[in-house]
Amino acid sequence: MTDPVARLKVDGIVKAFPGIKALDGVSFTVRPGEVHGLLGENGAGKSTMLNILSGVFAANAGRIIIDGTDASLVGPKSARAAGIAMIHQELQLIPALSVAQNIFLGRPMRRAGGLLVDRAAQERRAEEILSALDPTIDPKAKVSELKVAQQQIVEIARALLDDARIIAMDEPTSSLTPSEFDNLAVLIAALAAQGKSIIYVSHKMDEVFRVCDRATVLRDGRFVATVTLAETSEAQIIARMVGRDVVAEGHVSHATDVVAMTVSGLGDHRLIRDADFALHRGEVLGIAGLVGSGRTELLRLVAGIDRANAGTVTVGSATGPFRTPREAIHAGIGLVPEERKKDGIVRARSVASNIALPCMGKFTTFGLIRRKDLHREATALMEQMHLRPPQVDRAIGQFSGGNQQKAIIGRWLAADVDILLFDEPTRGIDIGAKSEIYDLIEQLAAAGKAIVVVSSEMTEIMRVSDRVLVMREGRIAGALTGPEITEGRIAALAIPQSKGGASAAAVRGHT
Amino acid sequence: MTDHTTPDRAAGRRSLLPAAFNLRDAGTLFGLILIFVIFGILSPVFMTTPNLLNILQQSSINACIALGMTFVIISGGIDLSVGPAAALSAVAGAALMVAGIPLPLALLAALGTGMLCGLFNGVLIAYAGLQPFIVTLGGLSLYRALALIFTGGNPIFGIPAEFRSFINGDLAGVPVPVLIVAAIAVILWVVLNRSPLGEYILAIGGNPEAARIAGVPVARTKIIVYMLSGGLAAVAAMILMGRLGAADPTMGNLWELDAIAAAAIGGASLMGGKGSVVGTLLGAVILGSLRNGLTLMNVQAFYQLLATGIIIIVAMLIDRATRGKG
Repeated sequence: MTDPVARLKVDGIVKAFPGIKALDGVSFTVRPGEVHGLLGENGAGKSTMLNILSGVFAANAGRIIIDGTDASLVGPKSARAAGIAMIHQELQLIPALSVAQNIFLGRPMRRAGGLLVDRAAQERRAEEILSALDPTIDPKAKVSELKVAQQQIVEIARALLDDARIIAMDEPTSSLTPSEFDNLAVLIAALAAQGKSIIYVSHKMDEVFRVCDRATVLRDGRFVATVTLAETSEAQIIARMVGRDVVAEGHVSHATDVVAMTVSGLGDHRLIRDADFALHRGEVLGIAGLVGSGRTELLRLVAGIDRANAGTVTVGSATGPFRTPREAIHAGIGLVPEERKKDGIVRARSVASNIALPCMGKFTTFGLIRRKDLHREATALMEQMHLRPPQVDRAIGQFSGGNQQKAIIGRWLAADVDILLFDEPTRGIDIGAKSEIYDLIEQLAAAGKAIVVVSSEMTEIMRVSDRVLVMREGRIAGALTGPEITEGRIAALAIPQSKGGASAAAVRGHT
Repeated sequence: MTDHTTPDRAAGRRSLLPAAFNLRDAGTLFGLILIFVIFGILSPVFMTTPNLLNILQQSSINACIALGMTFVIISGGIDLSVGPAAALSAVAGAALMVAGIPLPLALLAALGTGMLCGLFNGVLIAYAGLQPFIVTLGGLSLYRALALIFTGGNPIFGIPAEFRSFINGDLAGVPVPVLIVAAIAVILWVVLNRSPLGEYILAIGGNPEAARIAGVPVARTKIIVYMLSGGLAAVAAMILMGRLGAADPTMGNLWELDAIAAAAIGGASLMGGKGSVVGTLLGAVILGSLRNGLTLMNVQAFYQLLATGIIIIVAMLIDRATRGKG
């Protein structure tokens, strides 16, 4: 375990919460100038590890050694003093304040004998730091005016101001576009070249392989291995994370010719224009496209969450566009939203209550809910879907992302909708639970449901879809079926065209 | 990777949610018992049956308002207009009674007035998208002004004797107002815990956007909640009117604050999504017995106010300390 060139040495860290050991003797080292991945499924202990490194939690046992000295991390300030900076998944900036104010938040430069904040000096210093990271960011601009990628850079600037030697990033690309990720990757490489150590937590294997030098895999709070990425494969790492081999299965189509829904000329006069497509029973229709191409927006229009200003949605005898989700649900459309916490679950309520929300009437007699019937049906549904733990009376907020997702899907099965819209169905879900969700989507299609899946992950789109619509700048740029569904053809349709002639060449180049 | 602890197993160390709610109510009950024990030791009169009934009687008006407030708070809102809505209902009902309209009709009209105030609040909140605090703050002035304008600022006397004797009567020794509020509480408990409306209210307060996407009729539910609050304000107004024998347009000053206090002591979260009928009743009785006990001991009114403030803050601190950290 001795590593002479360790910048950070995590040695036998134990962290127990009442009833569970979140970390059980985890040890690894990070070298100066290294980008070190921290990998594992949800619940593997990555977040707990980061929380210990940033001083939020105190470890029950074990040591953190930074550049050879024992760092006792108690509270976020001590971690900062020890040279560790955290870039959280949900950025911790104050939108109404300027870039410079955010960078100097909690450590202002002062003037007038310490009475006043020296804004001018802060802005000059912020500009110096930012010039090396992203010169397009104006220190005087309000953070709310920046893109997420730029906000992230502001956080990195804050870490550099503190002279952090170790920068830990928790899922830094969760809301970045591919090109923004490219920029971040370059920036991370530059920071590493300056001798900073980066700890990089991510679910996305391709990112980890691109950005990281080595990676430590955790499973169930235990250290599994530290691997050098150049010497391993994605499959090997996933097997270590999950503890077994995950086999990708082939795609079976259950599509029929029976039309379940027809969308015609649908638009919102903001982004979405002239959306035309038909969805069939038993079909899984993938919707691909770049971030901002309007995939989520289209789903929300169909589901009645946002108001459409043009076009029609026809489901059986019901004709929309539906003005509320309730109307769409009555027509037989249910949406499994991308942001589960914000749009999906009511945290404090039980799984059963969350399932029953759209179809209360089904469980109600004379104005009273038949709790036993609800409990029985919710339990049966969740047993089918392997809810873990299988307790539908427990608050949904206490379940992992994958299990919450099962409950949201179960909600639409209980409501017996014919059309299920999935927006990024496996975002924030363990690799193990992912294939369960894929299997479920296939089972639903086999049972005759009509399904739409929006996804940013190519592999996901290609795995589940019978047919793929590709969106570009608010329009459906094209449809691909069966063997046409390739990464290249999807990309060719998804990328915005600058000139007609040039793009035709680009499409040919890709296919 | 959005959860901060290991969710699957973390769930194992917590109790079931319904049990947690009961636990919170048990805490409120413990607080009430503590107050009873202290005053029981300090004052020989406190623990006598007449005084205990007296406490319930004195708490009934606040409890009535606070039950409506609890529903509003659970839905993620607030209703500051309950006092003036009560006053407007009282003067409307009293004017009809004095004009010789049959008593049941006059009472229905009073109830309708309160619900109309709630409808006005609810429509502005649900459809115009205004903030509940501001809308009901406006209502607070508006309904008070209407009551004052309608009466010229003078109380309406001449409430029928039959109504007064009904409200001041008792059944097997239990005062009628206590019975009325108890019946309302039973109904509301069933609504909150056993009806779709209750699920909708809890869902809207817990996560309005998720509730909407799940098909909850958000606007309708909000309007019903504010109408319930206005209607219960009218009921409270009828009780007070029966006891005083007059409808005063200045009735109900600061009722909203007592009601919010009772709901909060009982475990309602002003963030929405959380609250309990039993807890609110206990909260109202805690406030009532505190005032009663301090009065028995001849403590100045100023100190009663001090004690009320301390109780509210202590209750919130205990609430905070016993709730699991997010």
